[in-house]
Amino acid sequence: MEEEKEDGTGSPFGPYLESLRRELENQDPRFTIALVVALAVVVITCVFLKYFLTSKTVRTAVLLVGLCDAGKTLLFARLLSGKFKRTQTSITDSSAPYKAKSDKASTWTLIDLPGHDSLRSQYMEKFKSTARAIVFVVDSAIFQKEVRDVAEFLYFLLTDAVISRNVPTVLVACNKQDITMAKSAKLIQQQLEKEMNTLRMTRSAALSSQDGSVGGSVFLGKKGKDFEFSQLPMKVEFLECSARGNKGEDGDANIESLEKSLARL
Amino acid sequence: MLDFFTIFSKGGIVLWCFQGAGVTESFTGPVNALIRSVILQERSGNNSYTHEALSLKYKLDNEFELVFVVGFQKILTLTYVDKLINDVQLHFRDRYKNELDIKGSLKLLNSNFEFEDDFSMLLREAEDSSKARSPASMRTFNESLKSQKTVKSMIETKGGDKIKEQGGKKNKNAKKEAEPVKVDPGKTTSASQKPVENGSQGLTPEEVMQKNREEFFRKRMGGNVEKPSKSPKPQKPKEKQRRVWDMGGSKAEDLDYSHPNDNGTQKAGYQGPDAHIESGMQLNPMKGDLLSVDYEYSEEEDVGEEEEEEEEEQERMEITNTKRVPKKGGGFGGMFGMLKGLVGAKSLSREDMEPVLDKMRDHLIAKNVAAEISTQLCDSVAKKLEGKVMGTFTTVASTVKQALQESLVQILQPKRRVDILRDVLDARSQRRPFIVTFCGVNGVGKSTNLAKISFWLIENGFTVLIAACDTFRAGAVEQLRTHQRRLNSLHPPEQHGGRPMVQLYEKGYGKDAAGIAMEAIAYARNQAFDVVLVDTAGRMQDNAPLMTALAKLIAVNMPDLVLFVGEALVGNEAVDQLVKFNQALADHSMSDKPRLIDGIVLTKFDTIDDKVGAAISMTYITGQPIVFVGTGQTYNDLRSLNARAVVSALMKA
Repeated sequence: MEEEKEDGTGSPFGPYLESLRRELENQDPRFTIALVVALAVVVITCVFLKYFLTSKTVRTAVLLVGLCDAGKTLLFARLLSGKFKRTQTSITDSSAPYKAKSDKASTWTLIDLPGHDSLRSQYMEKFKSTARAIVFVVDSAIFQKEVRDVAEFLYFLLTDAVISRNVPTVLVACNKQDITMAKSAKLIQQQLEKEMNTLRMTRSAALSSQDGSVGGSVFLGKKGKDFEFSQLPMKVEFLECSARGNKGEDGDANIESLEKSLARL
Repeated sequence: MLDFFTIFSKGGIVLWCFQGAGVTESFTGPVNALIRSVILQERSGNNSYTHEALSLKYKLDNEFELVFVVGFQKILTLTYVDKLINDVQLHFRDRYKNELDIKGSLKLLNSNFEFEDDFSMLLREAEDSSKARSPASMRTFNESLKSQKTVKSMIETKGGDKIKEQGGKKNKNAKKEAEPVKVDPGKTTSASQKPVENGSQGLTPEEVMQKNREEFFRKRMGGNVEKPSKSPKPQKPKEKQRRVWDMGGSKAEDLDYSHPNDNGTQKAGYQGPDAHIESGMQLNPMKGDLLSVDYEYSEEEDVGEEEEEEEEEQERMEITNTKRVPKKGGGFGGMFGMLKGLVGAKSLSREDMEPVLDKMRDHLIAKNVAAEISTQLCDSVAKKLEGKVMGTFTTVASTVKQALQESLVQILQPKRRVDILRDVLDARSQRRPFIVTFCGVNGVGKSTNLAKISFWLIENGFTVLIAACDTFRAGAVEQLRTHQRRLNSLHPPEQHGGRPMVQLYEKGYGKDAAGIAMEAIAYARNQAFDVVLVDTAGRMQDNAPLMTALAKLIAVNMPDLVLFVGEALVGNEAVDQLVKFNQALADHSMSDKPRLIDGIVLTKFDTIDDKVGAAISMTYITGQPIVFVGTGQTYNDLRSLNARAVVSALMKA
């Protein structure tokens, strides 16, 4: 009776807590241990889930992208093995670990994506979140004819939501410099800037998709001023290289500048 | 004999190649063309391809991600090529299994594949095997049976008919022993066993007996007609006998099916002009309820229906039987088999994929993809997955669905997207108008979508000239004039420097469409319009003169963009329409690089919920992208295609 009176004046949960305490004391100690262990497991699982769900994918890949026939697969072969290999149009991606020649460079994965129009987008979707750097290979010899296609691809690369969030380094490799008609990197940069200037205007006026999503929501560069690659949040570097090399099939490739830039990553 | 043979990985690195003697051109070009047009466009159903003078055959190895390609001159017909490819594939895999097995391409790059000796050995084997089965040489005269017959037997006598027939029969039976002849056994055995010597004139007793036996058997068999002998028969007896049909009656009255019942319904319409009723026919007065369908017809129909039902039931039974068989194989062992199928590396075979592919094909057809295209797609996916090793915890169904989804997305994005605004700016800088032509069958929405596109263009600040080249349909010109007025009221000339944004160029009805188009383009050039939209009349694809007229319009005016307007409701017709339109454009153009359809406008997209298969059919056939999607009838209902959304709607259950 005294106990009941005391409980009446205490918290409303008093009687329940009392009964719980009495139950626990009556039970075996094993029950309490089991209860504690179960609680611990639940807590640990929650922590793990949180950790896995919010962990970012580590970005260790360097992607080789570009139009069809730009020389990506040969560049891939040269960077990895230094040998010349005959190549055909790629249908799937190839990947391999790569270690740059300098001492303090880390290893990452070099991934060669197919450049064909119908495959380009789905492979980009797959690999863009793991990209730490993107090597955009351009065929310098026939650049004049392909200016618009190159610019369009580069535009889509730069305005992609995931890429503009992760801001990987972009290296534009002007390949096929061994051909006499090849344009220099500086010229290619100027032409691309002009083309991107027009593109960002037409693309923002493009029709929206049938389910309502609007493409091209990211506006490149600064409004009002002509587009320049330096206005972008990511680092864009232009360099020249030649995967085939000046001495034909047996000679070495002229890819020192590319290797140096890759080592600096 | 072969021009070249290459083995390369799907990632593009050539592992080994062989170039035939005397061949100097590099094979990279043709192989790239093969990859682009066949493998990437999902047409890998049949495995050969021709490129200029070369004929290419290929085989995909999906387990190790390799492609084997052989090329030879188109004019040669080499029979051993298929076998050679298969042998080479098996050999190469066995020999280099270790190098190929590892994921990642480093090993591929660094290893050297010395395959020449094996290849030459296999090539020699294949060539020898093909030579072994050389075609049968012709028999010399001495070997043939004709030399064994005496000349006398071939002379025509009064009874020569029979003798010749016998000789002919014997020869036929000797030569055609492989053919299934549903002939009574007596004839063949007696004829073949009989000695070849055919000696004397007249019939020997055995021949008489044989003849009688034939007659007897013929009468027993009834309608068993003898094969007409190829040797010319001697003249028949003089009079021509009247032909007697077995099934036909002999009286004219038997052919009179006119019944008092059905005469009334047919003749009723013709009563007007001549009320004169022939004596033989009786009209049934139409009093009271309508009579049911004629008894004879209904009987035939019932019988036909019953037969059809029986066939369907049989088919259904067969299908259910085949479906039941794999389930029966389950049970206790099947439970573990299912688990085994989930875990562990298992390579896909055709039989595993068959049921899933059939289901997928039916699903695609239910979503309004044309039937032949669904079949081709499923074949191509099967080719791409055959022999592939599945990862753990993936079922066959999920792998196949994934592959199908990827190939569908691939098909819907064939080329670089057509950026019309960019091209118009280009044309403006070159001081010429950008010409777009709309073509299609009747009633798909050409004029409506033309108005929508011109609205979009004037919203972006371009001036548009509409050329009314539909001079056939009543009200076509007025329709375009109404659109022009509305568009100009939405964008009044005062806002745009005093110049109307949309103008209509029309010359009324009945004139030649190609001429009007040419004048309109010249006018646009003079007045510095940015875009010319040419509206043509709708026409059916098998109407040859109209297709010729359209081809002439396009060939003469050389538009920058030829858009085919197709509605999303079309089903299997889409295949026929596009093929015939492209064919007509290719046939009737004078140049060797004809202008074909450059893009597709998919209209009435709001009327289909998720049966979006027409998009797939159209892009698969032409290989051109879908440029615009029309989703309604107001000016704002113009969209661009989102490939992923369409494919997910297509794959949704």
